[in-house]
Amino acid sequence: MSSIALFRNRRLSSYFKFAKFEPYLFLLPFFALIIAFNVYVYISGAKMAFTDAQGINPGVYIGLDNFKELISDTREFWPAIGRTFYYTFGCLLTQIPAALVLAVILNSTIFGRFRGSLRASFYVPVLMNTVVAALLFRMMFLRDTGMVNWLLGVIGLPGNTNWLYESSLCILLMIVVSFWQWTGYHMVYLLASLQSIDPVIYEVAKLDGASPARTLLQITIPLMRPALTFVSVMSAIGGLMQFEYSFLLFPNAGFGPGKKALTGIPYIYYHAFRSDFRLGYATAAGWILFFIILIFSLLQIRLMGLGKADEIEA
Amino acid sequence: MLFKMEPEMAKMHMKPKKTTTVKRKRWKRGLSIGVMCFIAFFYLFPLLWLFDTSFRPKVEIFNTPPRILQAAPWETFKSYSLNSFDLAINRYQMNQGFLNSVIITVSGILLTLLVCSLAAYAFALLRFKGRNFLFYCILATMMLPATTMLAPLFKVIQSYGLYNKHLGLILLYAASALGVFLLRQYYVRLPVSMIEAAVMDGASKLRIWWWIVLPLGKPALSALAIYQFRYIWNDFLIPMVLLRNRTLHTLPIKLQVMDSVNVAKDYDAIIATGFIAIIIPIFFFLIFQRQFMEGLSGSLKE
Repeated sequence: MSSIALFRNRRLSSYFKFAKFEPYLFLLPFFALIIAFNVYVYISGAKMAFTDAQGINPGVYIGLDNFKELISDTREFWPAIGRTFYYTFGCLLTQIPAALVLAVILNSTIFGRFRGSLRASFYVPVLMNTVVAALLFRMMFLRDTGMVNWLLGVIGLPGNTNWLYESSLCILLMIVVSFWQWTGYHMVYLLASLQSIDPVIYEVAKLDGASPARTLLQITIPLMRPALTFVSVMSAIGGLMQFEYSFLLFPNAGFGPGKKALTGIPYIYYHAFRSDFRLGYATAAGWILFFIILIFSLLQIRLMGLGKADEIEA
Repeated sequence: MLFKMEPEMAKMHMKPKKTTTVKRKRWKRGLSIGVMCFIAFFYLFPLLWLFDTSFRPKVEIFNTPPRILQAAPWETFKSYSLNSFDLAINRYQMNQGFLNSVIITVSGILLTLLVCSLAAYAFALLRFKGRNFLFYCILATMMLPATTMLAPLFKVIQSYGLYNKHLGLILLYAASALGVFLLRQYYVRLPVSMIEAAVMDGASKLRIWWWIVLPLGKPALSALAIYQFRYIWNDFLIPMVLLRNRTLHTLPIKLQVMDSVNVAKDYDAIIATGFIAIIIPIFFFLIFQRQFMEGLSGSLKE
């Protein structure tokens, strides 16, 4: 109460006026950047999707034509979206189970001091540039000089498949590279979540005579459900937005033989900057992809524990 | 006497049985460690191959079996040289690409930390009108990925006059909504007493941020720095769209340029550049292993 008297002081009262808008000054740099480089990009994207902008020509308003063209395009666009989902769920269904198995194995007390270094060695590919990973695997999949065919030959299988020129194998190869690169990432997250499970639960299960398989299915997996969902959603978003494997795993930056490796983001890039420079059309495709990704990012936001008012108030 | 001997006898009876289980356990442990080490080695073999071949002459790169397995390793080391690095530097200016990557990454990280921690500080510790609303707005922008709007991004950056400039990329990277969120989650848990004491002493808000919030929030800052480091250092698509001049290209784009040569592709230069591009993160990972792995997930779990 006595501090009210202090407010009479001219200097102090002007200070408190300043204090009123001071927080906004702290926010200003960030908001300036996010508006200029993120929000405004989306706003101008909302305009551009309805134009026939091409190259340096800003184009004119053409209504929903871009979207109509995309939706009726069963030759290029929908197959690209289909491949995006094929790739995304292919990654999800191979990486998450493998990561879980790896995490459960590494979690056993048997490894002791070795656990850290084993975990680190499965994590190393995560640090790698995806461009390098794509080029490295290209060299390994080359028909005559690649290591894959050599290894297949060593174990007595036919080693002359022309992996990179087989249009039916494109997405599969990308799933393989992605598996190699990202399984360790999920594994580290799942391992951390495994280690936070109370060991007493396992003691009790053991006393009750539960088999290891049953313990895994009925105790470990249910307890890890939050971590598993989180990892799956992150993996799905990553899969939907992948670009480098499509672009660089196959020779000549041609998105694979017959463009059979062209997925979502590569489709946008291809039409905006490679083939016909149709910026408006590519933006419309970007919006469709954006709404697909949005479903998953909304899930992600919820899983991160946001969107709850009490969390914000805290 | 007899009474005392009983446990001893029991022990003697138990002893042989116990050693076999211990032995079996040790054997099992050795086997599972061996198997996992083998799997890890197999898993990392592509990388080891890359490290090895980056020092080899071009003719040895595509040897099958890999040159290193053809003879005793120390004998194959005789052909080691730095020629592929020479080629990458002289023909493709890989050193310039490296420098560009370093410039963009370092300034991108520093700007992110500055901008995000200021905003996070306001959201976590200051009271003002519309705080929750603005915070929700930031969360909403987390759902707007840059790469789906490639064409508008290109046009907008061009209209700012930032096309073909490093600054454009740096500013773009610094606008990290995730960064604000991460730091804010950490700052709300800082000990209030210290901040209150500083307020009592009449410290300005800016001083409190610089002298108290920043030092106390170091773990969160380093997590964000590592996240941004991995993102910016490895980013490819956005720099490729926004940088045209060869002298401005980052390492991943250099790789793509080398790869776009269709006749007599210099795979040795590609491998050498790839080696440089991945050895930097691996080097930092070996030093800050814990921070790397906890990084994002650790901060989110809190």
